[in-house]
Amino acid sequence: MIYVENIRKEFKKTIKQPGLLGSVKSLFNPKTEKVVAVDDISFHVPKGEILGFIGPNGAGKSTVIKMLTGILTPSAGLCTINGKNPQKNRKSYVKEIGVVFGQRTQLWWDLPLCETYAVLKEIYEVEDSAYKRKMDLLNEVLDLQDFIKSPVRTLSLGQRMRADIAASLLHSPKVLFLDEPTIGLDVVVKDNIRRAIAKINEEEQTTVILTTHDLSDIELLSKRIVMIDKGKNVFDGTVDELKKNYGQMRELHFELAGDSSLESLAYKEKFGFSDDDINIKREGVKATVRFNSDIVPVGDMLSYTLSGVHISDISVKDADIEEIIRRLYKKEVSADA
Amino acid sequence: MRRFLRIYLPFSKAGMQEMMAYRFNFIFHLIGEMLSCFVMYFVWLAVFESSDSSTFMGFSMVDMTVYLFISFMASFLTYSDGAINIGEEIRDGSIVMRMIKPVNFDMYLLFHELGSRFVSIFIVLVPMSVGVELYKFFVTGSVMFSLPNFALFSVSIIIAYLVSFYFNVCYGFLAFFLKNLWGSSVLKDAIISFLSGAKIPLAFMPPALAAVLTVLPFASLSYTPVMLYMGIYDAPQIIWSLSLQLFWLVFFWGLSKLIWRLAMKRLCVQGG
Repeated sequence: MIYVENIRKEFKKTIKQPGLLGSVKSLFNPKTEKVVAVDDISFHVPKGEILGFIGPNGAGKSTVIKMLTGILTPSAGLCTINGKNPQKNRKSYVKEIGVVFGQRTQLWWDLPLCETYAVLKEIYEVEDSAYKRKMDLLNEVLDLQDFIKSPVRTLSLGQRMRADIAASLLHSPKVLFLDEPTIGLDVVVKDNIRRAIAKINEEEQTTVILTTHDLSDIELLSKRIVMIDKGKNVFDGTVDELKKNYGQMRELHFELAGDSSLESLAYKEKFGFSDDDINIKREGVKATVRFNSDIVPVGDMLSYTLSGVHISDISVKDADIEEIIRRLYKKEVSADA
Repeated sequence: MRRFLRIYLPFSKAGMQEMMAYRFNFIFHLIGEMLSCFVMYFVWLAVFESSDSSTFMGFSMVDMTVYLFISFMASFLTYSDGAINIGEEIRDGSIVMRMIKPVNFDMYLLFHELGSRFVSIFIVLVPMSVGVELYKFFVTGSVMFSLPNFALFSVSIIIAYLVSFYFNVCYGFLAFFLKNLWGSSVLKDAIISFLSGAKIPLAFMPPALAAVLTVLPFASLSYTPVMLYMGIYDAPQIIWSLSLQLFWLVFFWGLSKLIWRLAMKRLCVQGG
C-alpha cells in the first residue's frame, strides 16, 4: 500500500548575519547552509493499518508527511502509495488520499461549513447517494449537525477539527494522513475523534498514517509505530515490541510502615543499576521505585524490598508507553551530544 | 467541459458568497477608487480650462472625461488580486491545503475570483457605462454607445482580465522565491497603473515611448479595451491590438505554468 524507500530531504537555509550590516550583506551575498530534515527513512504500511508516526518536535515528521502527500519532493529516495508516485501526477494521486494538518484548515473560512462540503463533493466527484450516505456516517461519528450551518470562523477548535476530519473523509480516501489531529483538544473531543478514526478504518479499510504527540492516540488506535528522531528512523515495530525492546520499566509502589528508611535498601549497590535504570521517589510514607525489570526480575525486586523494610501496602505497575518513549528520546539526545 | 464546470463552478459560487460576506470591504474599495477617479477628473478640468485650445493632443474635455471613467472601469474590472493571496499563502504555508486537492491551481483561483468579478460587473460596469453615456448625452447631445464597439470592448476586457490574472499569478509565484511580496506589490501596482494608461492616455506620452508602451503587456490590461469602447481604433488596429492581447495572454499563461513547475521543485514550506 505505502512503500517508502530511503527518502531524504535537504533544505537550504539562509543564514542571516546579525545586525543591519548583516541584513544588507545577506541580501547580496546570501550564505546558505544545508539542513538535512529527513535522512534515509524507509517503511512500509499494508492496507488497512493504522500507523503511529512519532518523534520529538523537529524530528522531521511533518516533512515526511509532506513528501508522502506530494507537497514536497524528496531530495533522494522514492515513495509509492497505491502504486502511485505522489510527486508525479499530483491531481490523480491526491484524489485517493485525505489529509488533515491539525494546525491548518481546509475549510472555507467565511462560509458555512456545509458549503465547504458541497464544494468538496464536486471536486472529488462524489455521487449524490454516496455523499448522503457518507455525510450521515460522518454526522453520526463526529456530531457535525450542531454547527454544520455556521460559518467556519465561528467554530471552536474542537468543532473545526472534527469538521476538517470529516472534510478529508468525504471522498472515501484509500489513505488518510493525520498530522497532529488532536493538538490542543479536550479529552471528550479527542475521544470522539479517535473513535471516528477507528470506525472509518474498520468500515472502509482506510490506511491511516497518524502523527501525534499524544501517545494515548497511538495506544488506542495503532498497533504499529514508526519513530523518527533527527530525521532518522529510530524504531519500527508494534507497540508490544516497543515495550519489550525498550526497557521493561516497572513501577513498584509501596507504603512504608513505621520508621523504615528507604536508604537502607540501596538498590543501586545491591543490583548494580545505572542511573537510567532506576528512579526512586518518596513522598511521606509513599514510595515509588521505577526500575528496569530486564536487569532485575520483578520477583527478586519484590522479595528484596519486602525483606529490607516494613511495608503496609505494595503494588507493581507496568510502565506506560509514554515513559518508554521519554527514555528513548532522551537516549537519542545524550547519545548524540 | 461539463465536468470541468461542475468541478470549478462551486468555487465561483463560494467566491461570490465570500464577497457578500465582505461587501463593505468591496464598497469602500470602490468608493476609494471612485474618489481618485474624480480627483483626476478635476485635475484635467483645470488643465483644459487653463489652456487656450479646447482640445489637448486630440482629446476634448468630454473625451478626456469619458476616457477617465471608462479606463477606471476597465482597470477595476480587470483588477486581479489572486496574486496577493498566493503570496500570503506561501508565506504562512497554507498553500499546502490547496496542493492536497485534486484541482488545477490556476483554475481554482480563476473561478474563485470570477465569482466576485461577476458581482462587480453588475455593481460597476452597468451603472458606470450608463452614467458615462448619460453624461455624454447631456453635454454633446449624442451617445457614444454602439453595439459593435461594446462587443469588441467586452471581448477585449475579458482577455484583459485573463492577462491581468495570469500576470498576477506569475507575480504571485515570485513569493516562492522571495518569501514576501508586500513591498514589491505596491511598486507593481503603481507601475501598472502608469504604464497601462489607466492614469494618463498612452497617446499623451512621447511618440517613441508610446510606441513601446502599446506593445508591452500593460497596455493590454486597460488601454486597449478603453480605445475599443471609444471607437478610436480602425479595423487593422483593432485586429493588431486584440492579437497582441491574445499573445500576452498565452505568454503569461505559459510563464505561470513554467514557474509553477520550477516552484514545485524548490518549494520549502515555511512553518509547520
